[in-house]
Amino acid sequence: MKTIDETRLRDIVGERNIKTDPSDLYVYGSDSSVHHAMPWAIVKPETTSQVQEIMRYANEEIIPVIARGGGSGMCGQAVPIQGGIILDMKGMNKILEINLEDVYCRVEPGVVDDDLNLALKQYGVFYPATPASSRIATIGGEIANNASGVRSVKYGATRDAVLGMKLVLPNGDLVTLGSHTRVEASGYQLHKLIVGSEGTLGIVVEATLSFVPIPEFRCMGVANFDALKDAGEAIGSIMASGAIPSMLELVDDVAIKAVNKTMDLGLKEVAAALIFEADGMVKEAVDYEIDKIKKICEKHNGTDIHASYDPKERAKIFMGRKKLFPALSKYDDNLASTSLADDMAVPYSKMAELAGKVHEIADENNIVMTAYGHCGSGCMHTKILMDTKRKDQWDSAKKAITQVYDYVRSVNGTTSAEHGIGISKAESFKIEKSDSLSLLAGIKKAFDPNNILNPGKLAQAPENWVTATNLRYSVNS
Amino acid sequence: MENKRKEFKNLEKWQDTLANCIRCGYCFEHCPMFKHTGWESDAPRGKIITAFGLLTGEVEPSESAADKMFSCFYCKRCEAACSSGVPLTEIFTDARKDLVEMGLKGPGTTSITELYCARCLLCVGACPHEARFYDGKGIATDPAKCQACGICLEVCPAGAAKIENDFGTGRDDLIERASIFLETHESAKAIIFACNWSYYPGLQASVLPESETKEKAYEILVNMCGGRLEAHLLMAPFLHNAWGVMAAVCPDDECEHNGNLRAKKIVENLHNTFKSIDIDPERIQLVQIPAGDKTLFQAEIDTFVDKLNKLGPIR
Ligand SMILES: Cc1cc2nc3c(=O)[nH]c(=O)nc-3n(C[C@H](O)[C@H](O)[C@H](O)COP(=O)(O)OP(=O)(O)OC[C@H]3O[C@@H](n4cnc5c(N)ncnc54)[C@H](O)[C@@H]3O)c2cc1C
Ligand code: SF4
Ligand code: SF4
Repeated sequence: MKTIDETRLRDIVGERNIKTDPSDLYVYGSDSSVHHAMPWAIVKPETTSQVQEIMRYANEEIIPVIARGGGSGMCGQAVPIQGGIILDMKGMNKILEINLEDVYCRVEPGVVDDDLNLALKQYGVFYPATPASSRIATIGGEIANNASGVRSVKYGATRDAVLGMKLVLPNGDLVTLGSHTRVEASGYQLHKLIVGSEGTLGIVVEATLSFVPIPEFRCMGVANFDALKDAGEAIGSIMASGAIPSMLELVDDVAIKAVNKTMDLGLKEVAAALIFEADGMVKEAVDYEIDKIKKICEKHNGTDIHASYDPKERAKIFMGRKKLFPALSKYDDNLASTSLADDMAVPYSKMAELAGKVHEIADENNIVMTAYGHCGSGCMHTKILMDTKRKDQWDSAKKAITQVYDYVRSVNGTTSAEHGIGISKAESFKIEKSDSLSLLAGIKKAFDPNNILNPGKLAQAPENWVTATNLRYSVNS
Repeated sequence: MENKRKEFKNLEKWQDTLANCIRCGYCFEHCPMFKHTGWESDAPRGKIITAFGLLTGEVEPSESAADKMFSCFYCKRCEAACSSGVPLTEIFTDARKDLVEMGLKGPGTTSITELYCARCLLCVGACPHEARFYDGKGIATDPAKCQACGICLEVCPAGAAKIENDFGTGRDDLIERASIFLETHESAKAIIFACNWSYYPGLQASVLPESETKEKAYEILVNMCGGRLEAHLLMAPFLHNAWGVMAAVCPDDECEHNGNLRAKKIVENLHNTFKSIDIDPERIQLVQIPAGDKTLFQAEIDTFVDKLNKLGPIR
């Protein structure tokens, strides 16, 4: 560990914006992933010039700097694997401008997604790239991960909403990328490159985002399936039919059982269910989409198909999906719900097969896995439920994850749909991108020649994620 | 490492539960401490991580680690919101018991007693958690029992009961924030004091552009528990030209500290005072809001502001 010049950092951000006590450092060594590593200091800048000064200092001394938003990343993106300074960006939390005329807003990176949407709501507009974690995730973190969510099937992911940004480079320089316009063809469009860069290229200090009107009508429905394969094929058919759902979610039998076991919602214990939604300004148009989706579900042996405009009924339909996280955590007292192999994307036609594969692999390795996700955008999530105290379960999990990703790549899928790579998914990422790794390394070097920004992530992450950091669980040897 | 682990006799039983916390951070937005300091180590998830570190030996049972475990107002909103059903405050309490054994007592948010205590024992009777007692020399607080409701502070005639780390919920802080709002907003009319349960999240951690807030008629300030409302606090905004003050507390049977009942009495007394000095008592209003009922809370605020608009400023 390098010695940090605490006095210098204190001079930059002020006494109240720095923490170096080991008990604080310990907390900031975690995010929502399985990883843990100790940082050396935490600073909470409040202005762009403070970020610039911190970067200048870190670059002179070659000290790693890890930007951090809500710390809700699921793959260890914000875990300081090589130590260093955590930049807690939650101190830059201002919504700077809501420009209705030009249809964009400007925000600082620490603004919480839900807060932005609350501020936009009064104008009848919303920021749609919102992940399920919107109550904690910050705009900076969402940009760094290219976050997306239930409505991305219609409205796109973060990358689609980012028009421009201000970025502090590792040497402390400030650059303005992108523009305030809807389209841009002026060269490399580096702002889009920063989306998904996981804090390895620069620190986002301001973002310009587009928003869309809140639709007048929303209709949500559900269809049950006795075979996972049927549900998977229905997803493919819906998306291929030209229908435009504003949500298309899959939940499998493990997920349904978990919800029933812990919540008593009385969901029918079928092999899979699809939750769909369509929205729009004209009811007839929404009806049209819903009818189309319903018919396709029927064709693929869907049962108990129904849909409703009523907000209460919609909430009821979505409850099973919404309660999924708590249900999985409470599924079995001895099993913890871990974020491993937690997301991926495959072409629509492979959705059914992937879900089946996940179950097969789980059985083979004696762990519990569930498949669910924003399938309308090709995104599948899994959770591994396991006894985290047992070392053999970690070995099984590791094997299962490798198998899942081998399959995903074999059908031209991708290692991450929205949660990013960080540490835990680096193994598959490196195989997937093997022929472009040197290009990626070149880009990294161009932005960050001293490799101080979030080092040890993405292509630089260690091969074995289990031993890459301490695990945040007590594992018996 | 092994040695320290053994010392956590009470915390130990939560080992598996701590692993069940999925670290989603959904508890952040509910925690008044996190909202006040903005540091994750003050948030519920941060405390769960600290508890885990204490158990594994990765976190030294130091004064600063203890201070975190002793900082909690026991509003339990994190628990109600938790994705994984983690009984956070029970875990904190067990960690506290073990830390006390090690000679680490916070103070965190535990109430303390200054030397000028009159030994009237009023606080001992008022404490809903049997945390305050006479130890032969003076009034002491059991740090594992104190839930930082602050009721002892409000009943103490000598002002000797204190919560030093009040995370912005102390009387002076609230008065200052109320006065700043009233003095910097031309449109300002009311201050709404809300307990952490009736408070709706609003913007949890972000700041709006000034253009959005300059027309604001009221400011909501979280005073943790209705039991901490007292006349001095409720009257202070009027010195800065507030047209009215509203206090939101939990429904009758729903406050763990019975703070709502105290608040009712205090507001009743103020009504009488207002009548005697010829000011419309409706300028101070108490409302009872079931936990999380944002719609009702907003409706009550809107009605109150309408009423104030009719009454106009106090002359
Ligand atoms: C329960 C749960 C549900 C989730 N659901 C979804 C979902 O539906 N969709 C989805 O996409 N994700 C989801 N996630 C994952 C996670 O919330 C997202 O990846 C989110 O975008 C992370 O934001 P954050 O602010 O917490 O970032 P952090 O976790 O703090 O950081 C993540 C990365 O962003 C970088 N970063 C943060 N701020 C900046 C900045 N200002 N400049 C440069 N880099 C920065 C960090 O260095 C790090 O690499 C979920 C997570 C949880 C726990
Ligand atoms: S809400 Fe519960 S599961 Fe989520 S971080 Fe907080 S304590 Fe952990
Ligand atoms: S009255 Fe409340 S703050 Fe005072 S000692 Fe009892 S629990 Fe603690």
